[in-house]
Amino acid sequence: MIVLNDEIKKELIQLASEKNIFLEGNITKLIDTESDLDFRNYIFQCISRDKESRKKRLDITKTIQQQNKELTEWKAHNEQLNSELKLALETSEKAKQLAESDLDVLQKRTQNELVGSIVKVALWIICGVGAITSILFAITLLTDIENKTVESSWSNMFSILLTNSFSIVGTIMGVKYANNRNNGRDGGGCKYKK
Amino acid sequence: MDMIDSILLVDDENLFHLVFEDACSLLDITLNLMAIDNADAAENHFANLVKENKPKPDCIFVDLNIIGSSFDGIELCRRINFVHGDGVVIGIISSSDDETEQAKAVKAGAQFWIIKSDEIEPRLEEFVKDFEGYKERTASFKVYR
Repeated sequence: MIVLNDEIKKELIQLASEKNIFLEGNITKLIDTESDLDFRNYIFQCISRDKESRKKRLDITKTIQQQNKELTEWKAHNEQLNSELKLALETSEKAKQLAESDLDVLQKRTQNELVGSIVKVALWIICGVGAITSILFAITLLTDIENKTVESSWSNMFSILLTNSFSIVGTIMGVKYANNRNNGRDGGGCKYKK
Repeated sequence: MDMIDSILLVDDENLFHLVFEDACSLLDITLNLMAIDNADAAENHFANLVKENKPKPDCIFVDLNIIGSSFDGIELCRRINFVHGDGVVIGIISSSDDETEQAKAVKAGAQFWIIKSDEIEPRLEEFVKDFEGYKERTASFKVYR
């Protein structure tokens, strides 16, 4: 035990009464208080105050510890949610790409079918008109009927059909070329191949 | 009830150092507490005490999982018990109540296991009552729940 002299004891008691400053910490438990009643009261007060502040600190520390624990758990939970979200996003992105690719294929197929139908109809019309005018021209030749009008109509018709045929073929080729260029630029061509 | 002369706490959680220090002071368990947050540092500290022939702590409380260390609390118990010292009361203080780990701790020389939770004070009070038994090596391994 630590034995303090009377002068120091008086000074400590005076400091407590005048300025409200007390000894604190475990040192208070090591000071001898046997011989002096006033000093014993003073040390008792010091120990009580120290216990009070320690209790407060302990409560606060426990609360912080608990909050820390909850925060750590929350962080782990959050990280797990984030990774799940990331995975879901990646899956949806893949699904979106697949759907876009399928849509692209479907659009191209529809376009090709439409172009094919237009070409077929155009060819039928061209061939039909060509055949009808040729038959009419043949009949007028065979029957010796006046054929000036049919003759000029036939030649006109054939020239028109010829130019129109080239125009249709040119347009189709142009559209196909433009499509191929677009596909090549945005990588659609590769997707199409897949 | 006599106080324990000196205690060494090995725990990675610094906040628990404060809790333990305040609990020890409020319950008059010890006036001499040292806290270390790393198992490697604790082993070095203990080895130095032995080497320099300085007084060893009377009791060592070791956390089970000491983050940032190259080995866990059970291994630290084993090293202190079987490599560096003898006669030191040593045990685990952990939030885990895993019986497999407790069996491992007994093999490593741990004498007690204190469950760490919000209300640690009653367990520490009970432990202090049993301390003499641990010191005399008459008390068997006990889990303070």
